[in-house]
Amino acid sequence: MSSVTVTRDEADLVERLRGGDEAAFETLIESYSGLMLSVARSYVKTRAVAEEVLQDAWLAVLQGLERFEGRSSLKTWIISIVINIARTRGAREARTVPFASLAPEHQEAAVDPDRFRGAGDAFPGHWWAYPANWNERPEEVILGRETLEVVTTAIEQLPDAQRAVITMRDIAGCSPEEVCETLALTEGNQRVLLHRARSRVRAALERHLGGA
Amino acid sequence: MAHSPLHISCQEVVELVSDYLEQALPADDAALLEQHLNFCDGCVWYVDQVRTTINVVGELRAEDVPEETKAKLMIAFRDWKRG
Repeated sequence: MSSVTVTRDEADLVERLRGGDEAAFETLIESYSGLMLSVARSYVKTRAVAEEVLQDAWLAVLQGLERFEGRSSLKTWIISIVINIARTRGAREARTVPFASLAPEHQEAAVDPDRFRGAGDAFPGHWWAYPANWNERPEEVILGRETLEVVTTAIEQLPDAQRAVITMRDIAGCSPEEVCETLALTEGNQRVLLHRARSRVRAALERHLGGA
Repeated sequence: MAHSPLHISCQEVVELVSDYLEQALPADDAALLEQHLNFCDGCVWYVDQVRTTINVVGELRAEDVPEETKAKLMIAFRDWKRG
């Protein structure tokens, strides 16, 4: 995958922006603002603060444009700026530490171990009761407003490194390589953090959708 | 957890699902997982739940940006251009 560096189109876009092309900037804010707002929303408590983060992030993008070297894609670069600003604004700032020092912590089970049969059982490690088949749930419920709120809250409550990884991968659609580069993570740590984040969000969804 | 190399338990499956969906599992582990899914509906539904979770999280990208904010940003761009 060569998604880590800028494409030809992006390089042209950056040139036009540097030249002060308003139409190019308008295209850019229309393409990325929604995504940036979603990313900001997973760090700050209110929509209003997320919008402030969005504006600050765009100003930072403009200020940084001259220095942008195209070593990451434009999107990854912009999203990493949003994350940095949102983390600073976020109420939980006091307990954040730099990503580089955030290797996945201690073991963490994806699913509560009590849901599996114990070592003495004839089928150790097998489900006591199967998880629900969500395909039987109506799509209006799965993608309903309440469900999206549950997911937003679950992401807000994740440990910082997990939140950054799931936000970049599953909200922003960045590649694993882009995430590793931006957050200074190894490929293995990126996968573990993503796995844990998805597991916790799934568990929150299960509590909401009903369950086992 | 100790296990025979010939099969894996549901409790082991749930730890591999994200990597499986990422296509990041070593071929042997992927084969064991798929073999397990052939006889375990519970784990088929679990994998499906994780897939659904990823899709629902992906829905969050569709935030609308107010026109007013866009207008402010265009003004900021003009200011930036003037240096």
